Amino acid sequence: MIKNFTIVFCIFCVPIIPISTSSASETAHTVLRFVTWKADNPKIWDAAIARFETAYPSITIEREIAPHSSTAYHDLLTQKLKSHDTAMDVFFMDVVWPAEFAMAGWVLPLDDRFSVSEQKKFLSATIQAGTYRHRIYSVPSRIDSGMLYYRKDLLQKYGFDPPQTWGALVIQADTILKGEQPTHPALRGYSGQFKQYEGLVCNMLEFVGSHNGLFLSKDGTRSTLTSPDAIQALTFVRKHIIQRLATPAGLTHQEPESLAIFVQGHAVFHRNWPYAWKMANNARYSKIVGNVGVTLLPHFPNGQSVATLGGWLYGISAYSNHPQEAWTFIRFMTSPQMQKYFALQASLAPSRTALYSDTEILTANPQFQDLFPVFQTARPRPQTPIYPIVSNILQRYFSRVLAFPHIDPFQEASITDHQINHYLELVQSTPQ
Amino acid sequence: MTRNSQESTTGWMMTIPALAVVGTFSLYPALDSFLLSLHRIYLGLPTIGQPYIGLQNYTMLMQDPVAQQAFLVTFGFVLLSTTLEVLLGLSIALVIHETFSGRGWVRAAILIPWAIPTVVASQMWRFIFNDQYGLANLLLFGDQVSNYVPWLASPTWAFLAIVAADVWKTASFAGLLILAGLQVIPDELYDAARLDGATAWQRFRHITLPLIKPALLIALLFRTIDAFRVFDLVFVMTQGGPGDATQVIQFYGYKTLFTEGQMGYGASISIAVFLTLLLLSVLYVRTIGTTLFQREPA
Repeated sequence: MIKNFTIVFCIFCVPIIPISTSSASETAHTVLRFVTWKADNPKIWDAAIARFETAYPSITIEREIAPHSSTAYHDLLTQKLKSHDTAMDVFFMDVVWPAEFAMAGWVLPLDDRFSVSEQKKFLSATIQAGTYRHRIYSVPSRIDSGMLYYRKDLLQKYGFDPPQTWGALVIQADTILKGEQPTHPALRGYSGQFKQYEGLVCNMLEFVGSHNGLFLSKDGTRSTLTSPDAIQALTFVRKHIIQRLATPAGLTHQEPESLAIFVQGHAVFHRNWPYAWKMANNARYSKIVGNVGVTLLPHFPNGQSVATLGGWLYGISAYSNHPQEAWTFIRFMTSPQMQKYFALQASLAPSRTALYSDTEILTANPQFQDLFPVFQTARPRPQTPIYPIVSNILQRYFSRVLAFPHIDPFQEASITDHQINHYLELVQSTPQ
Repeated sequence: MTRNSQESTTGWMMTIPALAVVGTFSLYPALDSFLLSLHRIYLGLPTIGQPYIGLQNYTMLMQDPVAQQAFLVTFGFVLLSTTLEVLLGLSIALVIHETFSGRGWVRAAILIPWAIPTVVASQMWRFIFNDQYGLANLLLFGDQVSNYVPWLASPTWAFLAIVAADVWKTASFAGLLILAGLQVIPDELYDAARLDGATAWQRFRHITLPLIKPALLIALLFRTIDAFRVFDLVFVMTQGGPGDATQVIQFYGYKTLFTEGQMGYGASISIAVFLTLLLLSVLYVRTIGTTLFQREPA
């Protein structure tokens, strides 16, 4: 009985002891609450935070782990922020949230602390994503973006270099399918994410953007889906990608399904985020280890490659009582040393440009060499405080045009422009 | 008199707990939703405040083509799935009403789909209709991989797939209700009919069917209300896609409220669903009420 009690007592005490002793011994001790998601590699994060606490003994980090899903994490954060929770100091933001959080006054502007010269050391898209109405609200922890994976062996067999344009991709895929399909009927030319969900917006941004088109006008006040560039890109996807290379099955794919097709060797080309590299080269999941190439997504003749930006940004809560300590924490975690640590330990792609010439990082992650140009073409999704609404309307629009071959894209686009503009006007009418 | 009023006081006292529960958990949230639906609230735009806008959300809802389509999809789903469920349920009930060896096992087995949590069943059906490793393609085309159909990628097939999953899952529930109706029919009626030389069809048409009508209507009522609130099947199997072809009204309401943060407008969708269901239930209950009433003199 006593033995049991002791065990239970010890279990409960262990996590408490370090905190209580340190706070007792230091007079100006701060406990920072960092709300984060459940990490894929928790040990690496534990060690990173321990490093910070060693470097800054007067600050203890208390982590609150939220669900892994971006939507559920968003719900939790906004719940805390709406109730002006002073206990939360630092949090992660998905790259599509800063506008919303800034507009609501939930996140602290960092212009005084995060100088323009310091911002220039980061990949530009990651800074752009954290900027709303000329103020910066976040520091990028790393970068994620869309990229083109391809089968090196198949391209080589048919004498192709990785395609520069979407037209070339279609020709290459057609040639390879013609040669391979008789013996490999399940092979398809392209696999991407075309289900009606957020990933569809990411995929379409790359097609429309590389045709020199935009979803919203540069100043973000109007929807521009009826522009000929946007329409032509969408028509291309419907005709060549959905109805042929990816087959309509693409309309049911999110990342895992489309990646499964690629790693099983059933696709020539594949669009995904950086994480797919490791999966495609892991013999436990993949039949194409060593045959995977990665490069910039193609573009149309009149445009340049565009990769949709993903990833996570550090922000400081507007209700925090310790903004200065929170800044110390963020500065430490996004420092060159720590980004290098994350790149070496977890293969997270750094947001700092200089690290892409670090030989140690490149030896551990040779793919970064190829990915660096991709990251430079990254582009954020529309920056608006009502992004979730805009995204749902865009998802519906793209999914309808792709799934119903008889729908006139222009007519559908003008309805969609109208719907999005209705909400953008609402944003315009709000005080800045 | 005093005794009477005392009795009524005791009566009230005893119903207060029930009233409090209903008031707190049903009435209050419903009223609160209604109040929400009279305001313009965007979670992403706190600076616009929460102005009272009367019935504007409802006029917006009437003109919203997406909501109209979602209502149409929902009605189509309700009509098709409840019809199939009641027909299939009737056949199930007739079979398990007969006496045969192992009937207990068959009865239990038939209820299994109904006992599986919908989210699990939905995930299972999503796998069944998968274009590459789905059972549907394997059964239809075997190893002819190039013939495989991506069911959930086609607007029509995706809709029918959800109907199929719902029918599979709930036909047995309808069957159970109808079985209860069958069991109260006295055997003498059938014996008499047999003596008079009635065929099996005539016995079914003139004895069974009229007598299980109330049970059929109750099955219809339950299934209609339940089908109208369909959400989990769509959430797991298609997320409303492709191109909104399977977006039912409850899923649209969910997206508006929880992912888009349009609290006022989303609440008006919930209220519209509530009113539609109320109307449907009243219609059913009145129909059932009259049938039951008509039966009484006989």
